[in-house]
Amino acid sequence: MSERLSPLSVGYRALETAGRLGWILIFVTFGSTQAGLQTWQAALLVVGGLLAAGLYQLVYWQRFEYELTPDTFDIRSGVFSRRTREIPLRRVQNVDLQRNVLQRAFGLTEVRLETAGGSDTEAQLRFVTEAEAERLRREISRLKRGTTETADGEPAPEPEAELLFAVTPRELLVLGVVSVDLRLLSLVTVVLPILAPSMTTGFGPMQDPLLALVLGAPVLAVFIVVTAALISGLYSVTNYWGFELRRVEDELRYDRGLLQRFSGTIPLSKVQALALSENVLARRLGYASLSVETAGYAPGEGSGSQSAVPIAERDRVLALARSVESFEEVTFERPPKRARLRYVVRYTAVALLAVVAAYAVNRFTGFTFAWYLAFGLLPLAPVGAHLKWRNLGYALLEDHFVARGGFWSRETRIVPYYRVQTVIESATVFQRRRDLATLVVDTAGSGGLTGSDARALDIDADRAVELRALVEERLQRALDEARADRRRRRLVDLQRTDTGGFAGDPSPGDD
Amino acid sequence: MSDRDGPGEAETADPVERPDERADRTAVEGDDATADESPTPGTDEREPTDVAEDEAGNEAGAPDAAAAETAPPAPAEVDIEALTGPERTLHPRVRYVWVLQAAITGVVFGVMAGIPGFFVLEEPLVGPAVFLLVFGIGATLAVFRYRRWSYEVREDSLFLDRGVITRTRTVVPYVRIQHVDASRGPVERAFGLATAVVYTAGSRGADVSIPGLTPERADDLQDRLKRLAIAAEGEDAV
Repeated sequence: MSERLSPLSVGYRALETAGRLGWILIFVTFGSTQAGLQTWQAALLVVGGLLAAGLYQLVYWQRFEYELTPDTFDIRSGVFSRRTREIPLRRVQNVDLQRNVLQRAFGLTEVRLETAGGSDTEAQLRFVTEAEAERLRREISRLKRGTTETADGEPAPEPEAELLFAVTPRELLVLGVVSVDLRLLSLVTVVLPILAPSMTTGFGPMQDPLLALVLGAPVLAVFIVVTAALISGLYSVTNYWGFELRRVEDELRYDRGLLQRFSGTIPLSKVQALALSENVLARRLGYASLSVETAGYAPGEGSGSQSAVPIAERDRVLALARSVESFEEVTFERPPKRARLRYVVRYTAVALLAVVAAYAVNRFTGFTFAWYLAFGLLPLAPVGAHLKWRNLGYALLEDHFVARGGFWSRETRIVPYYRVQTVIESATVFQRRRDLATLVVDTAGSGGLTGSDARALDIDADRAVELRALVEERLQRALDEARADRRRRRLVDLQRTDTGGFAGDPSPGDD
Repeated sequence: MSDRDGPGEAETADPVERPDERADRTAVEGDDATADESPTPGTDEREPTDVAEDEAGNEAGAPDAAAAETAPPAPAEVDIEALTGPERTLHPRVRYVWVLQAAITGVVFGVMAGIPGFFVLEEPLVGPAVFLLVFGIGATLAVFRYRRWSYEVREDSLFLDRGVITRTRTVVPYVRIQHVDASRGPVERAFGLATAVVYTAGSRGADVSIPGLTPERADDLQDRLKRLAIAAEGEDAV
């Protein structure tokens, strides 16, 4: 009993394709002056394009079938090259639903299943009806839990959903403020060279570039910062509008989004690591955000889609984190003071480099200014070094390894030993000079690109060796415990089967 | 540097150590033979094809679980002692591989710098100078890298110690091994060497490679790691 996508998806996808082709059409129609097309020709092209897209999507729809079996999710798809894919349900990491404004108007939803393998989404249903999407999610959760029908063939009742967190307007406001993404400012480097000439010539009397810079730069900077702040703030607010986090048995479920609705599940049994992040603003206000990492997403993909709590007061976030992974009070160990010295040297070197660069620009290009002002950076080096050092820390808890770092955006990562993949201890030439080393505790999480592994930076070299052994030892201990636990469960299962039950017997005491 | 950072394999340069090693290997082969010819209860149907498969099997059906329950999990019977070994260094020939790779990188950089050097600066020595510099650094690093490199097949994990400029020690618990490759690049083939690559699901250093192995050793290591991974009875890796 395989299912099809929603028939409406044909229309939506055709429009989507036509929309993409539209650019080419516009280019063809208006781009070439010599072979300019008549209006009717253009119209013909548009209609033809739509028809072709519609036809293709119709075939796509016809040939796309999926089926949810008790153990797998099967997809048969492909217009030109056929593909059959079976995804074992127990390997499914996340089930995500999303729908943008247009899709909501059509009543369509996109469903994605993520597993740990590969970099792509393993199954992408574009699109099914909302009801079907809900059904799929419910069924997958149910099948993964392994509960089957009750004795009389009725499906087991949907387990209770416990609301863990709902974002308040106040929190949304805070979110908008603290999520001002300074990375947007890097746009400045792109925009500035374009704007700069017009700025200097624009202000008629200010022929002196220095004066123009002094007067223009702050205005420009303020403008850019405000724009960036507004954009990133608005983005996060719409993104996390109406955020709600629920716990359904052993899964977390979130819903969020104003224009584009997202909703997804995070299986607690697949949690690889927790990351608590607080940027400098959020720290001031006493807020933090929490993300729960599973191995379902490729690094860098699905920005924030695993964010369990976008923003909340720190204590609340910690409490939530503890409900996912029960870790005790954390007391951080800081790297030795000589690590701080290392940062002083490093930042001083950077400052000196800036001075040299400023001098070189002043000396060798027509652009003259008070280059020696760059010396003002030098006193900042020790301050920066201290701040960096102060925010570093690590801790070995009973069942978790915790590492923290970053001043502007401080991130605390909590990794259960049980999820450790590899342990890497490294020391560069510079670290060795000061007898320091870095310990990285790697998991299969999706932190990836931003280099956000749990790492204890610049700790004492001997301590690093010790920690490496400890983490490994505790991983083995955790594995042993899990193994013993598994055997016990199996034994219980077996006994139950032996005493006349059957394999699918609902087992209330199955924990 | 062009060379892979990958870890190299440690075949001891020291000729005295070699026979020892060999003995170790034959022991493993012996083990192998028994497993292949007359399947022991330990290694039977769960033919150690792939860790993931094994796991799946382990967890999946009740019948399998039952089997695993009555007879204690089969993999536990693998003789771990025989599979582990002392700390090893790479085969000394790996230096030539790295030196040759450094030479290739040197040529590439030399040509890249030499062409503008010759035509723009009219200085014919730029190319050779760059080549010598790159090659010199690469060759020196190759020697030191060889000296630094060691690996150890421990009881619970594979341990690698390597790196000249950044010294890195990696612990790869067998339980986390997804699969193991033995690969041979063209330069390696020229010197009769191979590399073993160990994959984990980790987000960083997802693949750990041990270069400078003789092909037999690479195969042997691959096989040993495979067995150890199975014996580690990994549950859900992720």
